[in-house]
Amino acid sequence: MTKSPVYLSDSRPKFTPYEIDCGRIPAYRYQGSLQSELQAGTMTPGEAVALLEDMLVIREVEEMIVKLRSGAYEPIGQFNYRGPTHVSVGQEGTAAGACSGLQLADNITSTHRGHGESLAKGTCALRQMTDDQLRRRVPNCKAARREDLLEAALEEHLYRTICELFGKDDGYCRGRGGSMHIADFTVGHLGANAIVGGGVPIATGAALANRCLERGNVVCCFAGDGAYANGVVLESLNFAAQAQFTNHLADGRKRGLPIVFLVCNNHYGMTGRCDDEVMGVERIARRAAGFADNNMHAEVVNGMNVLAVRDAVRRAAALCRQGQGPLLLDVDCYRYWGHSLSDPRNEYRTREEEAAWRAVDPIESYKKALLAAKVLDAQGISGLERSVAQRNARAATRAAAAADPAPEDVLTFMYTDTKCETVPKDFAGATLAGPLPEIKRVNGELTYKDALKEALVQEMVRDRRVIFYGEDVADYGGAFKVTKGLLEAFGRERVFNAPISEACICGTACGAAMNGLRPVVELMYFDFALMSSDQISNQAAKWHYMSGAQTEVPLVIRASAGAGKGYGGQHSQTLESVFCHIPGLYVVYPATPYDAKGLLKAAIRDNNPVLFVESQALYGMKGPVPEEDYLVPLGLAEVKRPGTDLTLVAWGPVVHDCLKAADALKAQRGVAAEVIDLRSLVPLDLETVLRSVQKTGRCVVASQAVQIGSYTAEIASTIQDLAFDYLDAPVKRVGAKNGIAPQSHILEAAFLPNADDILAAANAIL
Amino acid sequence: MATPIIMPKFGQMTEESAIVEWLKQEGDPVAKGDILFTVETDKSVMEVESFAEGTLLKILVPPGLSVPVQSTVGFLGQRGEPIPVQPAPTQAPRVPEAPPLDTRPSTLAPRPSPLAPPGPPAAPARFRISPRARKLAADCVIDPSGIQGSGPMGRVVEKDVRAYMEARGYGQIRISPAARQLAARERLDLLSLAGTGDSGRIGVADVQRALAERPRAMSRMRQIIAQRLTQSVLTAPHFFVTVEVDMTALLCLRARLKEQGAPYTVTDFISEAVVLTLKEFPDVNSSTDGKTIRWHSHVHLGLAVSLEQGLVVPVIRNAEELTLAELNARSRELADKARKGKLTPDEMAGGTFTISNMGMLDVENFTAIINPGEAAILAVASTLSKPVALEGKTVVRSIMKMTLSADHRLIDGAMAARFLNAIKQKLQDPELWNLPAEQPQRGCVTTPGVGAQRLP
Repeated sequence: MTKSPVYLSDSRPKFTPYEIDCGRIPAYRYQGSLQSELQAGTMTPGEAVALLEDMLVIREVEEMIVKLRSGAYEPIGQFNYRGPTHVSVGQEGTAAGACSGLQLADNITSTHRGHGESLAKGTCALRQMTDDQLRRRVPNCKAARREDLLEAALEEHLYRTICELFGKDDGYCRGRGGSMHIADFTVGHLGANAIVGGGVPIATGAALANRCLERGNVVCCFAGDGAYANGVVLESLNFAAQAQFTNHLADGRKRGLPIVFLVCNNHYGMTGRCDDEVMGVERIARRAAGFADNNMHAEVVNGMNVLAVRDAVRRAAALCRQGQGPLLLDVDCYRYWGHSLSDPRNEYRTREEEAAWRAVDPIESYKKALLAAKVLDAQGISGLERSVAQRNARAATRAAAAADPAPEDVLTFMYTDTKCETVPKDFAGATLAGPLPEIKRVNGELTYKDALKEALVQEMVRDRRVIFYGEDVADYGGAFKVTKGLLEAFGRERVFNAPISEACICGTACGAAMNGLRPVVELMYFDFALMSSDQISNQAAKWHYMSGAQTEVPLVIRASAGAGKGYGGQHSQTLESVFCHIPGLYVVYPATPYDAKGLLKAAIRDNNPVLFVESQALYGMKGPVPEEDYLVPLGLAEVKRPGTDLTLVAWGPVVHDCLKAADALKAQRGVAAEVIDLRSLVPLDLETVLRSVQKTGRCVVASQAVQIGSYTAEIASTIQDLAFDYLDAPVKRVGAKNGIAPQSHILEAAFLPNADDILAAANAIL
Repeated sequence: MATPIIMPKFGQMTEESAIVEWLKQEGDPVAKGDILFTVETDKSVMEVESFAEGTLLKILVPPGLSVPVQSTVGFLGQRGEPIPVQPAPTQAPRVPEAPPLDTRPSTLAPRPSPLAPPGPPAAPARFRISPRARKLAADCVIDPSGIQGSGPMGRVVEKDVRAYMEARGYGQIRISPAARQLAARERLDLLSLAGTGDSGRIGVADVQRALAERPRAMSRMRQIIAQRLTQSVLTAPHFFVTVEVDMTALLCLRARLKEQGAPYTVTDFISEAVVLTLKEFPDVNSSTDGKTIRWHSHVHLGLAVSLEQGLVVPVIRNAEELTLAELNARSRELADKARKGKLTPDEMAGGTFTISNMGMLDVENFTAIINPGEAAILAVASTLSKPVALEGKTVVRSIMKMTLSADHRLIDGAMAARFLNAIKQKLQDPELWNLPAEQPQRGCVTTPGVGAQRLP
């Protein structure tokens, strides 16, 4: 235990005139050549040839896609390719150059135009693998010579890539991802991303994981110029460049996030011109100056020169490994085809422009460099071209004939059923920065919020991979003081304030979870989840499935639901129904202190992303909470009160309204109502609900959400579907009015459901 | 383009029809002239032929559903051809039922006031029962339709079923498992079964008896008959006049004509006699709505034909224009169609007078009920050999009784008597039939069979 991580700002006003120096951002500083690289020993002749081969591999695959559209790819002329055609022909120097500057264990994230990066990360990684590692990738290959082994592995890489493009079961993502979501986690490729900019916070989170776990790996985040107008991308630049990672707050571990934001600047965001139309800066590199005083070491790099890209990424990765990240490289390149093959291009650019860029084609330029350096002669180059084409033809022919996924497996990989039952010994047990927060237990009872804190504390002690961040959660202890004392106990490495960037908070947590951490993040108000909904719904929820179960996303997003406090329409919503509609997420909502602790601990140990909803109205509620380690399993409802005449199904604070209504029913009519607290909405414990309805024949489903589209409707319709013959009356639903939470407490009381509404619904069917 | 298959309009007055059976299934090839389906009209089953060739692409209207005529019941076309989107077929509107009251607030938009005032619906509510109560009743093999519901909107709920069963002594029912199973399968009500076994135990035989006695649905045809004849009896004051006709000479003539290859029926002669007489008595060839009397210039003669399923009355139009031979041919044709169920609605409508001949059924005498829209009906009984006094001697003659049922609003007793006797005279006067003049000879061998002339 060293000094307390708590930090009190102590600045003074200072208005002395001065000028902010934005520094200088170098462009095209690479002056080297192949000869100079070889002479300097920064590259071997073998590596020089490999660089050409990697570019040829990319171009061959993408030209195959172009030809397949018209049946002109001879080896599989009849194959009907269904899928995107976002080819990157012209950008090979960027993908191959960058990946050749990375190490095997380094990570990349990529984009909807990501064939090049995916292929190059694979080929570069394979070349760095030991013979044993290669053998594991091609167990059926009996070759003794390394070059034969490597050739087999390269062909297998092509085969699995093309299979994924073709939606085959042998694809990297088992045909679940395809061109725009291809990933190979075994070589650190964390996934292409079809949401423009969507992969950037994931890369940032992956870098956070590398930093936290002290791995020394770098993340190279490929994203297009168009993405650099997207909110979550700018949030990510800010997140990555936070002072607290490198200044006095980091204490002995001052290391910037090891991430290279590599802008694949092909000058078009689909067709929008980033140079002089939809952005106000001439070079995206300038953006770096807005996020870090060191301009994120930004450079503009000639992406048509594969050696320049390689050089820039090698230097950037080295800086990252020294703790100097994040970096931004604005790589100037060009996309010969349109956004896709259905884009004729002539509506927004000239043929002359295209010809000028083709004249500096990265492959043709590099061939000349190889000839000039006498690394290869013309025959050697054409021999390499031939072998790349033949290898592609073999892989494509196999892929076209490969098995499709079985239709009955359409939902396989939706959720993982794994949990963190035992913590690997590397991560077990925390080194504490200070004393654990004191949690006041009176007669064995805790408040709901202390129960949450106890769960977090216990899980953070148990597993070093559990980190916690959110807005104002550290020194301040959270807007509702749920996490007060965690910073003191675990230090700023594991408990830190995030910028007010909800999308980035959820997105980085998703990326960190995909790269080895088990993050818990807090959304101060559930309403803000809508700002992060892409990261929650399109990223966290989908990556286990889209990657064909290559990755798991053990992530908990704590969302605090308002309501009843007069905070109005943007701080009072109960939105779990929205997220129950998103397959891939778990959604839980405890109603008691006991469940708050047990469910949060279970959620943290689960390997699925869990949206953990808390009620601000319940934070102060007291109830028995054992101090020991216990879990409330996800997907298990609880019968809060048994009864025979009527079933009341609810979750969250409405459970307590149901209990009140049950009291009234007993007193007024002698009716014994059974009250069920669902606790988990996804997975849903239908069995408990149906068993109860079969007994009672009557059911009211209640939640605090507005009626329209509420999950109560899903439950009610499922009951009538599966227990129709047991119903003695229609299933009733209770929720908030179909309106917007008002500020006026008179109006809000009219807006929210209460025990009387539940009683009225019950009376209507008794 | 798929061709719609249209429900034909079989009669001028037909508003709706139901398909009895599709003879082609979806996907079946259809040739021109193939029978696609059969249709039940008010009194017969019609076959509907295809006018086109192709594949039956889609059946929209299943058997049993009554739909308006001219509506699309299916589609014909080439295999795989798309068919236009169609709304689901709906039962033709009948007596409009009060819509169920719905007082729930809209889930889409707030409304200033509830949709309907609270309180029980004004129209008699349909029988409401919860799924749970329905299942309990089915499990207990009882009919819940008589149970008074205590739930919202009078819905029968579980406790009502239980209370009803207790009140009706359900617990005391003793029934063999096989009998219970049979009763459940046939949806009988255990409470309605009487047991004949030891201490009232219900056995399979008891269930089978109850099944045999269970009311069956009336066919549409019988319902129509019931409706029309009840209407007639309730609106037209009937009275009855009977005469005896000596048919000896006419039968003699008929036998001779038959030998000559002219197989007239007794009905043909009676029909001709009736047609001629109706020209003399225009009031009898009339109809009334109770306020006006309408004379019909043509005689559309109905001939009741008894079928297994009920009674049909094909109508010979403009019978006064037909010769005896034409009458014979037309009535044969219609009777044949009636027996095959192929009469069109128009062939069964618009009669002005009807003859019901039960001569072949060995009856002494009977009365008939007037068809609505007509003034009278003639009931013809069997021709029986009877001793009668003729020229002072007792002789055996072929005697046939005819009874006229007349609508007293149009016809008085004397007119009925004169009308009936005018028919009788024609039937007893062979010369009238414009055939070789020959006095009926005494002892002419009419040789009726035992009791009755069985004439087709």
